[in-house]
Amino acid sequence: MSGAVFATTLRLRLMTAVLAGVGMLAVILMVGALFPSVGDSIGKLNVPDGVANLLGGADYGTITGWMRSEIGAIYGPLVIAASAIAAAAATTAGEEESGILGLVLAHPVARGRVMLAKGGAVAVVVVIVAAGTWLGLLAGVAAAGGGISLADMTALAVQLACFGFTFGALALALAGITGRKAVAAAGAGSFGVLAFLVNGFAPLVDGLDWLKYLSPFYWYAGHDPLTNGLFVGGLVVLLVTTAVLVVVAVVGFGHRDLRA
Amino acid sequence: MPPHAAIRTEGLTKDFGGGHGVFALDLEVERGEIFGFLGPNGAGKSTTMRMLLDLIRPTSGSATVLGLDTHRDSLELRHRVGFLPGDFELYPKLTGREVLDFFAALNGGVDRRVLDDLVERFDAQLDRPVHDLSTGNRQKLGIVQAFMHEPECLILDEPIAGIDPLVQHSFHALLEEVAAEGRTVFLSSHTLSEVERVAKRIAILRRGRLVVVDTVADLLQVARQRYDIEFGATAPAADALRSVEGVEEVDGDGPRLVVSFTGAPDPLIKAIAAYDVRSLRSHDADLEEVFLRYYRDEGAA
Repeated sequence: MSGAVFATTLRLRLMTAVLAGVGMLAVILMVGALFPSVGDSIGKLNVPDGVANLLGGADYGTITGWMRSEIGAIYGPLVIAASAIAAAAATTAGEEESGILGLVLAHPVARGRVMLAKGGAVAVVVVIVAAGTWLGLLAGVAAAGGGISLADMTALAVQLACFGFTFGALALALAGITGRKAVAAAGAGSFGVLAFLVNGFAPLVDGLDWLKYLSPFYWYAGHDPLTNGLFVGGLVVLLVTTAVLVVVAVVGFGHRDLRA
Repeated sequence: MPPHAAIRTEGLTKDFGGGHGVFALDLEVERGEIFGFLGPNGAGKSTTMRMLLDLIRPTSGSATVLGLDTHRDSLELRHRVGFLPGDFELYPKLTGREVLDFFAALNGGVDRRVLDDLVERFDAQLDRPVHDLSTGNRQKLGIVQAFMHEPECLILDEPIAGIDPLVQHSFHALLEEVAAEGRTVFLSSHTLSEVERVAKRIAILRRGRLVVVDTVADLLQVARQRYDIEFGATAPAADALRSVEGVEEVDGDGPRLVVSFTGAPDPLIKAIAAYDVRSLRSHDADLEEVFLRYYRDEGAA
């Protein structure tokens, strides 16, 4: 990977990433602070299984269920995937379409190393957002009066980071193959929505339960990290998928014409 | 000096479909020369240059720069070549200095004195973010990054676009210096006047095909010259002059005629010698006219 490209890319994305991380921290802290007054009175929602699945159980009566539904099920993955996809699409296909990469690649740096440097910068963005999530959980759960172990909170943040890597790598792969920012962002984003719905609904349909295995949501939180800690199998699937997508990004980018 | 040409293309083709692209380009640019690469917009100049830098890959054919294959040896090639794209963007939030430092790092560092000298020559703005800079000031940064690692070959796509005449002057002086050091400049433009001053040889590209490669001097020889002739008591009929060897066009009637011709003026002079010539004014051969002729063929082709 090219150190100069990594440093410059990261520098230009750092502020956005830190703001996303701080935003995550603040939201989770508020969510935690609300739990004592609101959580108990909601309790466990009586909703259809499909909706409960999408909401991460919809059990608002415990701090674990509360955080799982409020942060773990939708908000956390949404913010980290959006941050990863935005960073990946903008710094690859975005720079390509605007004519920046055309000049960068006129200098002696291999396309593969440029793509890996972009991937490295996206990974740091994801880690920053995941760190914000972790710190938010520590603060939010403390504000709620405790109830989730440090190991389980750390597990959620780690699972979430790997989930973010996967979506960043998917956007990189689409950008590497097509060079189009819109395709990279919209493609990865649409896959995210689809994966979310599949993970929620597939288990409810006889014979389609297996579809959930295609969803990164399953590998991220299917086994409930806030209760059960790290799911190593899930991490392996997410990281291997990430690695494969990065290879696709590098090969795709190396074998086509630059667009602008 | 190594034996290979600075730039050599063999049957270089990039077919974008619909007649767009570059077709079967055979071109050789010698080391140490300033070579002008001309053609109307869309003729394929940028496409050719982008293939030399391996930014896009040929459909068929091949090219070498400094003896290096454009694809296989691309990294070393880019180390030894400076490129200024016709259309480029720089990171808008970075300052000029940060942009140049970034490009310097990609080259594994550059000689600070060379960089400082270039910055001073062009009065490049280093402390302001790129998005605050005018087109001309951005172009100056583009020029500096192309020259700062002292490349053996410079590939410059419309380099003086947007810069003022004073800066153009220092730019042309720089090109002369670079060529005097035995380095090569391959320069594109869609207007002749931009390259006429510096280039010894030019190629004209039209619709992706090479229409002529020649020295500026030779092109001038075949260029049309023009005489404004004023006659006194006796004057020839315009039609009579039209049939004289070399004469291409006769405008006006009566005592004042404007005669365009190619080649030596001898037949024309002998033809008018029989008449009362009051004044004869010669206009220099106009390369622009040759150039436009090649361009105009476009409609006929």
